[in-house]
Amino acid sequence: MTTTHPKLQVPDRAGARPGTGTPPFWTVRRRDNLVGYLLITPQLVGSVLFVLLPLGLVVWYSLHEWNVLAGTFEFVGGENYDRLVTDANLREVLGATALFSVGLVVLNLALALFLAILLNQRLRGTAFFRTVFFSPVVVSLVAWTIVWQFLLQDDGGLNGLLAAAGVEGPNWLRGEGTAMLSVVVVQVLKNVGLNMVLFLAALQGVPAQLYEAAELDGAGVRTRFLRITVPLISPTILLTSIITVVGSLQVFAQIAVLTQGGPGVSTTVLVYYLYQQAFQFHHFGYGATLSVLLFAIVALLTLVQWRMRRRWVFNET
Amino acid sequence: MKPFAKPAAAALAALLTLTACGAGGETAPAAQGPQPLRMTIWTSNEAHLKLFDEIAAEYRKTHPDVGEITFDPLPFESYTTTLTTQIAGGNAPDLAWILESSAPDFVSSGALAPLDDTLRKAPGYEFDDLTPSAVKLWQAEGKLYAYPFSTSPFGVFVNTDLLKEAGRKTPAEMIDEGAWTWENAAAENAAVVAGTGKAGMVVRDFDYKGWDNLATVWGGWGAQPWSEDGRTCGFDSPEMVEAMTFLHKSIFTDKAFPGPGTTADFFAGDAAMTITQISRASLLQDATFGWDLVPLPAGPKGEYSVIGQAGLGVFKNSPNAAAAADFLAFFTNPANSAKLAAYFPPPRASQLTAETLAKSNPLLKPGQLQKVVISGIEKGVVKPNHTGQAELSQTVRAALDPLWQPGADVKAVLGGVCAKIAPMLGT
Amino acid sequence: MKREIPLRLKTLLYGLLCVMCVPFVFPTWWMVTSSLKPIGEIFAFPPKLLPADWDFSAYAQVFQLQPFASQYVNSLYIALIVTTGTMAVAAMAGYAFARIRFPGQNVLFVVVLLGLLIPSEVTIVPLFQMFHGLGLTDTHWPLILVPILGAPSVLATFIMRQFFISLPGELEEAARMDGLGRFGTFYRIALPLARPALGAVAIFTFLHSWNLYLEPIVYLSSPEKFTLPQALTQFVDAYGGPMWNVQLAAASMTALPVLVVFVLAQRQFIEGLAHTGVKG
Repeated sequence: MTTTHPKLQVPDRAGARPGTGTPPFWTVRRRDNLVGYLLITPQLVGSVLFVLLPLGLVVWYSLHEWNVLAGTFEFVGGENYDRLVTDANLREVLGATALFSVGLVVLNLALALFLAILLNQRLRGTAFFRTVFFSPVVVSLVAWTIVWQFLLQDDGGLNGLLAAAGVEGPNWLRGEGTAMLSVVVVQVLKNVGLNMVLFLAALQGVPAQLYEAAELDGAGVRTRFLRITVPLISPTILLTSIITVVGSLQVFAQIAVLTQGGPGVSTTVLVYYLYQQAFQFHHFGYGATLSVLLFAIVALLTLVQWRMRRRWVFNET
Repeated sequence: MKPFAKPAAAALAALLTLTACGAGGETAPAAQGPQPLRMTIWTSNEAHLKLFDEIAAEYRKTHPDVGEITFDPLPFESYTTTLTTQIAGGNAPDLAWILESSAPDFVSSGALAPLDDTLRKAPGYEFDDLTPSAVKLWQAEGKLYAYPFSTSPFGVFVNTDLLKEAGRKTPAEMIDEGAWTWENAAAENAAVVAGTGKAGMVVRDFDYKGWDNLATVWGGWGAQPWSEDGRTCGFDSPEMVEAMTFLHKSIFTDKAFPGPGTTADFFAGDAAMTITQISRASLLQDATFGWDLVPLPAGPKGEYSVIGQAGLGVFKNSPNAAAAADFLAFFTNPANSAKLAAYFPPPRASQLTAETLAKSNPLLKPGQLQKVVISGIEKGVVKPNHTGQAELSQTVRAALDPLWQPGADVKAVLGGVCAKIAPMLGT
Repeated sequence: MKREIPLRLKTLLYGLLCVMCVPFVFPTWWMVTSSLKPIGEIFAFPPKLLPADWDFSAYAQVFQLQPFASQYVNSLYIALIVTTGTMAVAAMAGYAFARIRFPGQNVLFVVVLLGLLIPSEVTIVPLFQMFHGLGLTDTHWPLILVPILGAPSVLATFIMRQFFISLPGELEEAARMDGLGRFGTFYRIALPLARPALGAVAIFTFLHSWNLYLEPIVYLSSPEKFTLPQALTQFVDAYGGPMWNVQLAAASMTALPVLVVFVLAQRQFIEGLAHTGVKG
């Protein structure tokens, strides 16, 4: 992570008084280091206490058969991990998770960027529309999912609209393909406002002169978007994509309400599955094992995104 | 891996300290002074809490050794999750309400203390007054592990206005003629759907996911999801195939039940009938339509009834287990059971009379109470239950999904359910 | 400055925006209007856009049935402390990770980043064990400490790092020439410029704390200590069924003030971001 500007690199002995033979202990570099460590201390202590320590405990649980009700906690070694291989549902669950996350990320980022671009035009009333698109973020999840359940049912509002247009809509929450689509869309609509706000802020930072200059050079809308907008907002794209990927792997309350993971296990994503195993089926040890798996997957994905950032993100050279 | 070495060691150390604390808590000598009791419940209704607090206050008058008794309301949807998290975290309550669906897990786990001795010894308790059908679910090897404080039968609520509008007889009339059977009930509902455009029969809380509620239907065919001992799958039995074929035809051909992905609220006047627990009658307080409550229709195997329950148990590992069991005995003695009957139908035979119940269910007529509630509890069977119910339930739900399609092969789907759950039943 | 948009395109844009509004607005509309309907009318199908009789009694019931006012205060003060605390922690850590080079930085950043990756369901049991061991269950401490220092604040640190990294180096250089130390540069120069990014952090953090559901349920057991999302689940009738109109009234009261604050703050926040140059 070479984040400092070359000009800012301070020579080790810049603070040393000229003429004295032994440099003082507190060089600028050392003082900088100290400030750096001090500034990250609260976050680091928190991470160790509230992230690493619990995570270590989860790994520890995953080596045990833990029946919470009976109060038994027995060491079983890698047995829970063997179960990952033999679990007939897990393959489907992972497939559903991948589908859900990819669908959610693509749709969320595309819609967020689209809305942000729309609202970045010189139009009256953009503040109103901004609020509208943001509003679901603050609405209670329960109310949100209940209404959507209504709208998506077989004779619900959406199919009513489609019927008016002469199209016979599917039974959204009951069909294998449409159930996943519905869950993704409901989730996107709920949270797209946050990414939209971040994109909007980034877009407003793109200097208008750049567009004007490009236009003079005869660049079309597409070229301007791909050559100016995207590179300049790329750090925000990185930020939103990481947030959204990570968030997509943590969604489950909506799934519990809308489909309970069905039909079949087609909408059972990994976090919902581990929640079921640990809290509903009382397999805490196996739930912990699934947690470790989920963690490994998210960590890997984030690492890939992070590694790739230098290729396409501005300012991250 | 280097950065992980230290925290892992710290985690381990922390775990050891924590388990040591936990173990210490359990075996510690009884602390001085009055010991508080904590009971987790899933209601936060003001009237309920007031009644519980009154009973607790009365108990403490005669038991100065017991400190404050608190009732912790947890949200119903996440009740078992929260309770198990608290238990896992070493903060189990002294007493807890237990959901019917997790009854076998709790009863068989050894987490609960047996109650028989305490209850039998309690003066004036009349232990044998408890109806056998009500306590069955909560017993293991002849011991009672939780008290079924709420035993509520399923009945059929009927929107008589809709039936009249469609020009059909009311179920009450059909009962008098001895014609209240599933075949006829389905025909009634299909006629209402055709005649009024409203929905027919709604099995409440089923919604093509909560399949255990279908026990209120297939009971008429004598079908069971698994054998009495819980070891053999019953979904592929001829009775079940017949019952489900009837249900499938009624849903997809006759349209007597609203199809998957369609919700209709009976209590808003959108459906002709609904199968639900009788306690839902309270929703009819402001009903703008005429309604009736009747028993479940008879199936080919005759009449039957289904009850829903909730239990109250004491955690064996609680340092105050003895005091908690003693409080449970007081909380559910005949006098207090009668008070609780205002909200929760009691398991006591002597209190299952139309007069007692009428006081607490002002919306229901004595005839309705007698037919649905009293005889319902006496001969009722509970909804399907098994250890590992949540996992079984989820597996069955997923395996049944293909059934809810117009052209489904009922027999093949049910065979598939058995293939999926057989390994889980075997253990 | 961009040119005026042609009228035809403008009409098209407005049309598009209005159509897109529907799926965003309808659920909120339903929530608010249903809270004014009698309970039997709420699930009537097809749903009605306006209540037949306006019935405000649910709003009064919210306060009668639960200590809703103190629950509101709980949520508010927890969210405010968490927001302020997170802003401080995240600004410091974000600045250090973005602009100071110190040994072990990369490894430590990865350690911190781990927190971003862990769903709270995964760590709730060990965290509960820890706080129970410390005797801090049924207090607000876990709801304050974990978000400020633990996993939820990592997102904030990440946002702050992304901001500070794009700050022009010349500003800091000038500050150092003037003799400001590293901390002074951070506090006097970088932090004031970071106001918009802090705004983003504040919005994210406040909403996260405000909507926290699983943790309060697990940690808190006395109704007067409850937070709002938890309180919403507590409005049930004598038979355990949800009192929908009361729940929705409470939900509306939970959501609307936040929305109003957003309306007031958004312009400053979004335009502020633009002016200080978190240009991507």
